[in-house]
Amino acid sequence: MNNLKYISAIRNGDFTGLPIAGSSTAVNMTGNWKFFRPLLKPKKAPCFEACPLHIGISDYIKEFAAGNHLAALEILRLSNPMPAITGRVCPNFCQSACNRTDFDEALQIGNLERALGDFGLDHPHPGNDKDENKTAAIIGSGPAGLAAAIFLTRAGVKVTIFEQNTAPGGLLRYGIPAYRLPRPILDQEIDNIIESYKIELKCNHRIESAQLKKLTAEYDVLIAAPGLSRSSIPAQWPDIPKIKGALDLLAAISRNETIPGQNFVIIGGGNAALDTARSLKRLGKTVKIIYRRTRAEMPAYPDEIMEALEEGLQIQEEVVVAKVAGTGDALNLDLHHSRKDGKQITAGDFLETITCDFLIAATGQESGTDFKDYSPELLPAGDFAHGAASVAEALASGRKAAESALEKFGLLADYPVSNQTTEESAPITCTQLHLNYYVKKPAGKTPQLEAAARNKNFSEVNLSLTLDQLADEAERCFHCGSCTTCGICWFFCPDVAIAINHDSHEAESPILFDYDHCKGCGQCAEVCPRGVIEMEEDL
Amino acid sequence: MEKSAILLGSEAIAHGVKLCRPQVISAYPITPQTHIIETLSEMVDRGELESQYIKVESEMSAIAAVLGSVSAGSRSFTASSSQGLAMMHELLHWYAGARLPLVLVNANRALGAPWNIWSDQSDSFSQRDTGWLQIYCETSQEALDTIIMAYKASEQLMLPIMVMIDGFILSHTMERLMIPAQEMVDDFLPPYKAPYQLDPGNPLTFGGAAQPDLFYELKKAYSATMQEALGLIDQVQTEFARKFERHYSAVMHCQEGDKNSDTAIICCGAMTGTARVAVENLSQTEIAVDLFKLRLLRPFPTTDLAAALKGKKRVIVLNRACSYGVGGTLSQEIRTALYHLPDRPIINDVMISLGGKEVFPETISDIIKNREQLSETECNWL
Repeated sequence: MNNLKYISAIRNGDFTGLPIAGSSTAVNMTGNWKFFRPLLKPKKAPCFEACPLHIGISDYIKEFAAGNHLAALEILRLSNPMPAITGRVCPNFCQSACNRTDFDEALQIGNLERALGDFGLDHPHPGNDKDENKTAAIIGSGPAGLAAAIFLTRAGVKVTIFEQNTAPGGLLRYGIPAYRLPRPILDQEIDNIIESYKIELKCNHRIESAQLKKLTAEYDVLIAAPGLSRSSIPAQWPDIPKIKGALDLLAAISRNETIPGQNFVIIGGGNAALDTARSLKRLGKTVKIIYRRTRAEMPAYPDEIMEALEEGLQIQEEVVVAKVAGTGDALNLDLHHSRKDGKQITAGDFLETITCDFLIAATGQESGTDFKDYSPELLPAGDFAHGAASVAEALASGRKAAESALEKFGLLADYPVSNQTTEESAPITCTQLHLNYYVKKPAGKTPQLEAAARNKNFSEVNLSLTLDQLADEAERCFHCGSCTTCGICWFFCPDVAIAINHDSHEAESPILFDYDHCKGCGQCAEVCPRGVIEMEEDL
Repeated sequence: MEKSAILLGSEAIAHGVKLCRPQVISAYPITPQTHIIETLSEMVDRGELESQYIKVESEMSAIAAVLGSVSAGSRSFTASSSQGLAMMHELLHWYAGARLPLVLVNANRALGAPWNIWSDQSDSFSQRDTGWLQIYCETSQEALDTIIMAYKASEQLMLPIMVMIDGFILSHTMERLMIPAQEMVDDFLPPYKAPYQLDPGNPLTFGGAAQPDLFYELKKAYSATMQEALGLIDQVQTEFARKFERHYSAVMHCQEGDKNSDTAIICCGAMTGTARVAVENLSQTEIAVDLFKLRLLRPFPTTDLAAALKGKKRVIVLNRACSYGVGGTLSQEIRTALYHLPDRPIINDVMISLGGKEVFPETISDIIKNREQLSETECNWL
């Protein structure tokens, strides 16, 4: 304080005694008055937490909003190597968790992901030239198998995939209809992956359980991701060709095979039931879904149920098929009202008998393999490991299998991961944000093909939005718990004790607190729109 | 060309401010000041007045905003009243101590509780000791002219000036007045050139901590500047009179008063007009009294006042602000100024009105008629 030198005479005027000093007040270490100090404490965003892949969503959307689409794609692919696919087929766990839902409407993360994914179709992955002299065999080229392959090759492991079908993709190709996942997109995304990461793909190469031992001997690690490729058919139904599993039918449709019969009844309420029904309708068949519970209880994704209803699909609720009898060309189905018996559903009163050409079971999936007594060296992944689940969960499972292998190889250390905080803590909630800084704005929804036009072919139902069209949507992200260097704290700090480090590198903090002059008032923590600044006792 | 107009007091003030070309205006509305800043904001909106109008959420922020804008070298304006002015109190001290120029118009209004929106001078008299110059106006014309003079004096002194009008009595009544020509005002009041200003290229510390001895020296210098201000304000008023032909001084003798009378009435603000009528009426009944209005409260024109009241046996002070436990605030000021005179007059301290209590010419003439009954030591309440 003694160093503060007041100007005693003014250069260009007649004033004296103005309380203006030529030296800085920085000599006043007012920071030693404080009892609290602000700290930058990034928090987990709910989208990051909800995503099975823990994608750094806020991070890539920052780049997206800044127009750096390639940088955004790179961050996205770090956790999710096939965004063009998941951007179409993922039920968007992230969006369901979005804090923006409590403000106006969830951020349309799926649309942003899809647009970046499509942009990425022309931008191959960087790949990897490392060779750690390790090999891996992967059974199955579905999302789990491919993810395992990608994350292994990124760390320098040489990968061979064994695929029983003629083309890679597993359920992506043989389960998900083209109107949800157009084949050119699927092909391009997978081709990019196979080529960029130099994965050896052996199609038409089915692995039987007898071969497992040999493979574990030949390769340093063996990952089994054969999926659940068959629909289970209820045991009480007769074993006749007129009764089929939904997945067999979907696979046949995918292969453009001719589907005999006109009149189809599908039993089930999951995605497989709806996919089969909607596909058959597109082939001009008469289709009816019979489900034992109510529509609200159907496990299929709500969007898909909505779209199916728009397309005029008939869903008969709370009905069970009590008896199936084959009479020559047709099947007779005895329908009964379903009766709730605790958690079980059993057949109640008789309703009617209907006839159909084919009865399709979509009531569950089972493995198409007999890998029962596999060795402990075999790492299971995907639906085969955890049961039927989403594509994102399959990718996460494949990545997890890869990480187990890498850990065993001692290669996990320099493996790139999403840089959002992975600390064990609950994700930040809407009440921890400062919503006054945000403006309500309608969400950038995907336009859809008109329902009337959909039944005629397998054209994609959800139409694309371009990156430019989604620029505003990217701006809607709250960036919950993540500093965007917005400068609100800098603006409000009464002690000029905050500096924004706009050129922050990953290791450096984007906000620099001058603790020599911060008095610990806590205004920065109070005004932070994203709940990133916290006050800590400073004694 | 100077032009004549019939305007509300608030509008007259807005025109006066506009003629001074403030670059920044920041204010928070409060009855009876609201019309002043509404008129200014409309002028800004219509593009007639090129100024940054900063909307704020309180009077505290309004004065803080202009503290910033003037530190950055701009001419600025704010206005308030009553509770609003009271809310500014902390920064009024700071503003003056920072030695920054400003013109603040205060529409005089009572302070609660109880709630009251009518006129008295408690609000500005409470701010007597903040270091601001204070000028009280009798008419809207006087207010308009005073604003122009105040900017000139303020910027030459690097001291802030508060210009007072009576809420409602002036702010909400119409008056025929003259609006000076812009060119003449521009000629009288050149753009503000700050000797020092906020400048990232030349960092300086404004009002940073001062050690006790330095603090004392700075305050001594402040006090000396206040004394110089008396002379400077005289000069500015003389220069204004030469240019615009309207004459003002710190203490003004009213022509209705009888210079030869040994009894004088003194007051400040619009009530002077009522006193003029009372004194004129009394002169018909052969009671002669003299009449003065005090325009300048800070710095206090002690010499001028002593000279004006020299030889008077009785001075009746009409107060509209009270220092509770003593009496009329204005009376204390007059007493202090006259104490050193060899033949000091009797001071009758009269609390004539608070919170808008109506003052008629008869109210004043009754006081004069009954002057012998007035206490010479105690405050006289009606």
